Amino acid sequence: MPREIITLQVGQCGNQIGMEFWKQLCLEHGISKDGILEDFATQGGDRKDVFFYQADDQHYIPRALLIDLEPRVINGIQNSDYRNLYNHENIFVSDHGGGAGNNWASGYHQGKNVEEDIMDMIDREADGSDSLEGFVLCHSIAGGTGSGMGSYLLETLNDRYSKKLVQTYSVFPNQMETSDVVVQPYNSLLTLKRLTLNADCVVVLDNTALNRIAVERLHLSNPTFAQTNSLVSTVMSASTTTLRYPGYMNNDLVGLLASLIPTPRCHFLMTGYTPLTVERQANVIRKTTVLDVMRRLLQAKNIMVSSYARTKDASQAKYISILNIIQGEVDPTQVHESLQRIRERKLVNFIEWGPASIQVALSRKSPYVQTAHRVSGLMLASHTSIRHLFSKCLSQYDKLRRKQAFLDNYRKFPMFADNDLSEFDESREIIENLVDEYKACESPDYIKWGMEDPNNMMTGEGNAAGSLDPKSVV
Amino acid sequence: MDDEEEQQKLPDLVKALIHHLLSQNLPPNSQPLNPNSSQFQNSLRYAHRILTSHLTPSITPDAAAIAESIKRRLATEGRSSEALSFADLYTKFASKATDVDNKWALLHLFNIISQDRKPAVNSQSRLDASMLLPNLTISDNNVRRRIENKGWEDGVVVLGRDPRNRREVAFGEYVKLVKEENDVTEEAMVTDVLYACQGVDGKYVKFDNENNDYVFLDSIRVSRATTSMVHKLCGLGVLFKRVIGYIDQSLGRSPVEDVGTVGQAFCSALQDELSDYYKLLAVLEAQSSNPIPLLSETVSSENYLSLRRLANWLAEPLVKMRLMADLVDKCRVLRGGAMAGAIHLHARHGDPMVHEFMKRLLQRVCSPLFEIVRRWVLEGELEDIFSEFFIVGQPVKAESLWREGYRLHDAMLPSFISASLAQRILRTGKSINFLRVCCEDRGWARAATEVATDTGATARRGGFGYGETDTLESLVDEASKRIDKHLLDVIYERYKFKEHCLAIKQYLLLGQGDFVQYLMDIVGPELSVPANTISSFKLAGLLETAIRASNAQYDDPDILDRLRVKMMPHESGDRGWDVFSLAYDARVPLDTVFTESVMARYLRIFNFLWKLKRVEHALIGAWKTMKPNCITSNSFNRLQGAVKMQLVSALRRCQVLWVEINHFISNLQYYIMFEVLEISWSNFLSEMEVAKDLDDLLAAHEKYMNSIVEKSLLGELSQSLYKSLIVIFDLILRFRSHADILYEGIHELQARITESSLSSRDQKKTRKQLNDKSAEEGSWIADGRKALTQRAGEFLCKMEQDLDAISKEYSSLQEEFISQLPVQQHVDLKFLFFRLDFNEFYRRVVS
Repeated sequence: MPREIITLQVGQCGNQIGMEFWKQLCLEHGISKDGILEDFATQGGDRKDVFFYQADDQHYIPRALLIDLEPRVINGIQNSDYRNLYNHENIFVSDHGGGAGNNWASGYHQGKNVEEDIMDMIDREADGSDSLEGFVLCHSIAGGTGSGMGSYLLETLNDRYSKKLVQTYSVFPNQMETSDVVVQPYNSLLTLKRLTLNADCVVVLDNTALNRIAVERLHLSNPTFAQTNSLVSTVMSASTTTLRYPGYMNNDLVGLLASLIPTPRCHFLMTGYTPLTVERQANVIRKTTVLDVMRRLLQAKNIMVSSYARTKDASQAKYISILNIIQGEVDPTQVHESLQRIRERKLVNFIEWGPASIQVALSRKSPYVQTAHRVSGLMLASHTSIRHLFSKCLSQYDKLRRKQAFLDNYRKFPMFADNDLSEFDESREIIENLVDEYKACESPDYIKWGMEDPNNMMTGEGNAAGSLDPKSVV
Repeated sequence: MDDEEEQQKLPDLVKALIHHLLSQNLPPNSQPLNPNSSQFQNSLRYAHRILTSHLTPSITPDAAAIAESIKRRLATEGRSSEALSFADLYTKFASKATDVDNKWALLHLFNIISQDRKPAVNSQSRLDASMLLPNLTISDNNVRRRIENKGWEDGVVVLGRDPRNRREVAFGEYVKLVKEENDVTEEAMVTDVLYACQGVDGKYVKFDNENNDYVFLDSIRVSRATTSMVHKLCGLGVLFKRVIGYIDQSLGRSPVEDVGTVGQAFCSALQDELSDYYKLLAVLEAQSSNPIPLLSETVSSENYLSLRRLANWLAEPLVKMRLMADLVDKCRVLRGGAMAGAIHLHARHGDPMVHEFMKRLLQRVCSPLFEIVRRWVLEGELEDIFSEFFIVGQPVKAESLWREGYRLHDAMLPSFISASLAQRILRTGKSINFLRVCCEDRGWARAATEVATDTGATARRGGFGYGETDTLESLVDEASKRIDKHLLDVIYERYKFKEHCLAIKQYLLLGQGDFVQYLMDIVGPELSVPANTISSFKLAGLLETAIRASNAQYDDPDILDRLRVKMMPHESGDRGWDVFSLAYDARVPLDTVFTESVMARYLRIFNFLWKLKRVEHALIGAWKTMKPNCITSNSFNRLQGAVKMQLVSALRRCQVLWVEINHFISNLQYYIMFEVLEISWSNFLSEMEVAKDLDDLLAAHEKYMNSIVEKSLLGELSQSLYKSLIVIFDLILRFRSHADILYEGIHELQARITESSLSSRDQKKTRKQLNDKSAEEGSWIADGRKALTQRAGEFLCKMEQDLDAISKEYSSLQEEFISQLPVQQHVDLKFLFFRLDFNEFYRRVVS
């Protein structure tokens, strides 16, 4: 009963970061590109069966579904060194191969059409697990397949596997560059609604921040997707170390997430990682102590979500929860000292409406991967400043929506047929509500929030009132 | 035969000589000499004395030198022609008389005779005066002896000297006086004293049992001075009696156990000393009847041994005898090491004679002891049949061999072996025995041999003794170093001590998280029933399943094999949760470390951690029921405003309470993990590194255990904290069931609403068109819906009340718990305190 986790990689971006993730896991567990355990990988102590299962011939096969509506990326994977790693039955490419055209509605609709095929695959994987813990979805929220089809899958999973956890690694689009996907704000908004309602935990990977980190921290003048994706895979693998290297605590996903997500709606997590390296820099050795690592993790420049907050708002922003996963040779006494220092210097601003503290999980490092650093750390945190990212999405959506631009592409699909754009409004409502809830978390009176006025039903429990005219609320 | 003849011949020759001399000296008119006359006898005795005396001339035994001096004397006396003829004669004598051995002695004799002759002639008249002394035994002092030798003139020897001063006369007077005062002659007293010294009653001096002393017979009149003198001398006899009494008693005792080898050695050493003493006494006795061998017979009119002389002679034996008697008294009831120790107490004496004597004695006494040490240290054999050694063994089970099998017997520890050395000796032999019995190891023998070769000769049997404590110490050091190292090697490598400790940490202290989780998943449901209805057989099966399902399956099968389910002793009313425990079968020899009491403590720790895990498990379960995507429907919007507020409020209440409880539990767990388990473990590891012997290892483990027990609030002093913790745990479990009920109710509500909303979809559409603002008043709501709403309202209201109650109770419990933290003196709970209130939430609440 290894508490299996099934990974769904949807769309171009999802498959790309998924591929990087599996590469990293194979390295860490000493599994070859063909899925065979390397001779040196005998040290054990790791749990491979959370993410892999063994085929009859002892091959380790990722519990992963590769789903896309266009074949380019998946073909790439199938022609790569790792082509024998995946179970070919778990690869789904739509027959027509035409993709979703960066249209959320298209992706969603196509998802609906192939639901049966995909759910068959998911069911098969779920049946192959002893005690399925949940699903991890890798996707981007801006495009068509990852966002649209991903959204549809989230709803379906929530419906069919309501007891299982659903975690997503969601890549948010780069807001600094003008995107080639003009309808990105629409797609983002519609996906965000599903992430809010149908996911248990969303790890926000902000392309803007990833790029910034690649430029500033790694000194890459023009970071490639592969490079930013390697950052993502680092984060993904680090956040699963406690599941893969069992210890006294945090041995399952639910245990890991429960403390991070005290209020159900605020389940969007930021990540930070230090020290970051890319391959060519591996020889740069810096002294790393637990305190160094924990302090750096609290610095905004290492956070993989951009802060769009104004200074005034930023000072109000608070941590709802923090989990630091420290890997490497750590003297447990250092943890205490580091926590003490951090508190003395007031480096963290926590919520005031309940008790909170920095949680620290110590995890082993893979013995097969050589790193230059003695200690490395990943931070998973729920921080109220993430609301500014959503606000940004909202404002971009508003701009586009005011112009009524590009809506025709959506009207083609049943959800928006008959010019019924209530889905947009409902989504906007939910996101705005989410932003409000995050904002409320910054105040000490969060407990009473939403209850002051019984007529104004601003609650965290889904008040997207289908029966009310959305216009009157906005 | 020749010798005998010779011996017969010699007295005859002497007799003939005396006869010749005496008869020559006889006055011309007297009758022929009677060989039986006293005069003759006296002379004969005197001659014997001269012949047996060891008087040596004060000249060098060099014939040529003597001849030279004679020549020179003749020359200076103006007899140069005689000197010449002497020189001529001497050369002839030296060259021809090859069969004469003592040429120088002959020359010397002639020289003395020739010199003596002249004054003897002059002092004729005064010699006669000395004849007046009546008590002088040798009265023929004016005897002139002529010795005829080939070609030489007759020589006259006069023995004796003229009493030139009055002191000698006075002394003579004194002797006479003494004789008159005493009934007994000094001679007799000397004899008696000598007898007494051998523990035998004399003629006048008898042993008085009452006073335990030698006393004169009452009928005898003796001067006080003499009495005290005799008494003093006889003290030696008393002491002697004590010593010999002890020896006889010891050696005569039939069960040898009572004496022991040390006692025997002591007796034998005493006997050796006594034989020296006997020798002395024999000589003294022989001398007692002899007169003093002086050249002059005038003064030494008494026997050689006077009481005073005797006192002088016996002074040293007296000291020794007193010492021995002392020792004997001290050791009478002692045995073995205690005896050696008692004797040692006397060894530190400034007097070199005493010191030497004691050293000699102790070397003998200690040798059996040291032999035991040697065998113990090098071979692990406790060859102590008479239980004299300071280490006592007792038959015990293998697991307690180390702790209880051997111990120091303090009473038997001689004081010259320090306590620390004794400890090391104890440990070394114990290690060997431990290796032999518990580890079934033979490798120690090699280590012991190495020690023996390295320390060289001293390690041989009886190679060292008392006074060589350094050697002993270095042997013990060397042996203990190697044996201990070997033992630790065996423990670490062959018996994988570290691995087992780690396994215990992983399984009993829940370090192997995935395993614990599965165990919790599958065993948990079994444990809610009363303890006495639980089948441990079934639990063992579940344990097996958990091992198979987790990474534990990759662990060493030997380790997994030792993992057991154990039910702690239970009382009525206990649930499975209270008694379930895992046990680890340490087996010989590791059960020396993991004794039953240690395992019992592990069980307690396990039970506590297990309860904590259960609570964590329950909390996670609660979170899963209220996880973010579980309430997806919008249907609650259709509820009446007030009810909806109730719903929101109940959910929020539940969540916030969950946050608080979860914060508490997870920080308690972090505390347990970082501050208790991991830190204790890393300390233990580093102490394990430096441990030199099994005792160190045991101590390190003990410290490790204690630190865990104390810090995880299981210690005696933290009982109130522990109790409040258990109450909190119970409350949390209650909270969990309430949260479950709440969510179940909500889900049911949700289902109902969805159902009814589906059926009233058409109505909705109509209503939407109507855009009826008063929809909330529920004019369109069916009766069923109204009832539903009402029921929901009641349910939520009740739930909220319940949660409120739990919340209040929890707050007060937690406050109580936290308030107790800073006053705990014995453990440092600052970290826990600081973690629990990391963001100063509680401080704010209080203020």
